[in-house]
Amino acid sequence: MQSAPTSSSGSAVKTSSTTPLGGGGSNDSTATKRSTRVRPGDFIFRGLSTGSAVLIMVILAGVALFLIISAIPAITADWSTNSQLNTGPTAAFPNFWAYVGPLIWGTLWSAAIALLFGAPIGIGIALFISHYAPRRLASILGYLVDLLAAVPSIVFGLWGIIVIRPFLLPLSDWLSANLGWIPLFGGPVTTTGSTILAGALVLAVMILPIITSISREIFLQTPRLNEEAALALGATRWEMIRLAVFPYAKSGIVSATLLGLGRALGETMAIALIISPAILVSVRLITEGQNSQTIAANIALNFPIATTLQRDALIGTGLMLFVISLAVNSIARLIVNGKRGKRKKGKDKPSTPGPLSTLPSGDFASATAIDVVAGTPRIGVSDIEGPTPEEDIEGARY
Amino acid sequence: MKFKNVAATGAVFLAAALALSACSSSTSSTGSSTAASTGTAAAAAVVSTPDSSLTGTITAGGSSAQANAETAWTAAYTAQVKGVTVNYDKSQGSGGGVTNWLAGSYDFAGSDAPLKADQQTSSQAICGTGGGLNLPVYLDGVAIIYNLPGVSALNLSTNTLADIFALKITTWNDPAIAADNPGVSLPATAITTVTRSDGSGTTQNFSNFLSAAAPSIWTFPPTNTWPIAGTSAQKGGSGVVQAVGAGAGTIGYADHSAIGTATAATINNVAFSQAGATAAFTAGATTVPTTTGDLSQKFDYSKLTGPSIYPIPLISYQIVCSTFKDPAQAALTKSYVGYVASSVGQQIAQKNAGSAPIPDSMLTQIQATLATVK
Repeated sequence: MQSAPTSSSGSAVKTSSTTPLGGGGSNDSTATKRSTRVRPGDFIFRGLSTGSAVLIMVILAGVALFLIISAIPAITADWSTNSQLNTGPTAAFPNFWAYVGPLIWGTLWSAAIALLFGAPIGIGIALFISHYAPRRLASILGYLVDLLAAVPSIVFGLWGIIVIRPFLLPLSDWLSANLGWIPLFGGPVTTTGSTILAGALVLAVMILPIITSISREIFLQTPRLNEEAALALGATRWEMIRLAVFPYAKSGIVSATLLGLGRALGETMAIALIISPAILVSVRLITEGQNSQTIAANIALNFPIATTLQRDALIGTGLMLFVISLAVNSIARLIVNGKRGKRKKGKDKPSTPGPLSTLPSGDFASATAIDVVAGTPRIGVSDIEGPTPEEDIEGARY
Repeated sequence: MKFKNVAATGAVFLAAALALSACSSSTSSTGSSTAASTGTAAAAAVVSTPDSSLTGTITAGGSSAQANAETAWTAAYTAQVKGVTVNYDKSQGSGGGVTNWLAGSYDFAGSDAPLKADQQTSSQAICGTGGGLNLPVYLDGVAIIYNLPGVSALNLSTNTLADIFALKITTWNDPAIAADNPGVSLPATAITTVTRSDGSGTTQNFSNFLSAAAPSIWTFPPTNTWPIAGTSAQKGGSGVVQAVGAGAGTIGYADHSAIGTATAATINNVAFSQAGATAAFTAGATTVPTTTGDLSQKFDYSKLTGPSIYPIPLISYQIVCSTFKDPAQAALTKSYVGYVASSVGQQIAQKNAGSAPIPDSMLTQIQATLATVK
């Protein structure tokens, strides 16, 4: 979302650094004069940043190559006769696909439940921070949510075992007794609480920071004019959010959710600790013998005792996870870029929100700066009646 | 701000003081235990006096079951041989330990299972034609722990135990359990079996027992991963202990030294004791014959009967090369493993890690094998 304005403002800073703000006329001549001399700093920095970009491509390709090469022996092997594969954790499966299929299901299933809980709450928190909370509370809350991202997943795992599992036991019992006829709540009810429900709830907490921080940034970028127009037409705050903020932020919310999904798909330690896994396809939420295992947790649990080919099989499941994550991230990009592409074509102008369009198009740096300054007070908007003093001043600028 | 700084400095000092006191206390405790064991060493049959002039680092890792014992051994050993550092990485698990050892990065591997045939073959790449040597240095028992409110003592016969873990007995008031516990009123609670979700030497030892002692009920081959779905599967021995404690009507298995305050059932009316595990080793363990001096053990579970023999022992090995690539590392590792496989070393593990001592006859054989290591 942010990449386009940031890069353009970066180049603008370079050219306009010596000229006063808004001096659009003299800007061009200075820039041409400067560009005739190549400075070593420019050269080195350009080399470094290009090198970094190339490096990440090489690393990604290297990881993909490693996964594919390592996985091939296990994928092509005959699992029923191979002495390394017909023992231990892979004994029950005739081939690689029978092994990885339930794991893919378990990965998607647990992540989907986590999203079901995590996405609405994450978006709710983001909305509260951007549009409802008083400024002080908003910044504290934003900080706290970001702090959540710094908690190691093994701590979440222990928290899940010691707190969440017993906490959910009465709920599981109730669901089993009263709604046991629904397949979701079927099966023998748990006694230790080691369910996919508990795991997915902890997972939901773990993806909150990602969803919240991205959604918050996007909500804050809603064009002020749209919001003010909605309020001026007599919309309540909720109606303003529904009419102005949500339509603007739709693609951003989707990409935030999908990035959260990506996090949930790859989570390992918390899942491995909390859920009692089995490699089977199941939708049951509150049993402990029939929870579908996830790919990442399965690797963590079985890697230490794996034979050579079993290790290759685990790497093969990792390859599948890689493909799934790639697909999820690509879909997120497609949704975001697709929306933006359309808008760009329609407007024929950078789609950077805020008052940018009213400023000289050459001066992105100051425009972005103003946008940032103008953006922050919005956190503090707390009264519903009308614009705050800051907004009045800001309005005068137009 | 200033106050904060003062407080922070104070906190640092406090932490340092705590760390120091922790250090000194641990040093003194190892010192005393060493002293105590040196006192008894005179009476012990197998003595291994490490050469205190050795210097270097021993890198090893593997089984988490013997991790507590390794910590105790390392502390006691390095107190005598100041120049040697022993790094034992328990996060690898038995399989990871063997893998790293086969890759040449470990001086010895800790493993709950001896080398398999294919591993023995590939070990010749790092150990020469003699391959690797499995040395049984750690003995413990698999404890059957349960949580059944109102039942403070539980006895299970081998067949009932196998039936429970094969999910054929599903409630606590089943006649088979009642027959094992005359006079105990058992509730109708459903049984939740708690097993390991990760591969484990404990599972290996327990399924060895089940498939040998109750072959008609437990039809699965011995394995290091639990073969039946439908149990509550937990990561790590501590995960099993935690889950058994958290639910009512649960039963699970764990390395005895790791069960903490959980209640263990008696098996065939025998409660776990260190002496019971040692007696089981003496009564039922036989060395798998090889020409290299390898000491892989095989239990004859049919011999593990009687009131003083605990029927589910657990063995863990240290695996070393018959010929090291680096003679200096060979000397270091021989010295350390020799210390571990001495009566003193076994007493230290018994005292600090709760394991059972390996019988002296086996320790003597280990020392003999170690003498051939180059």
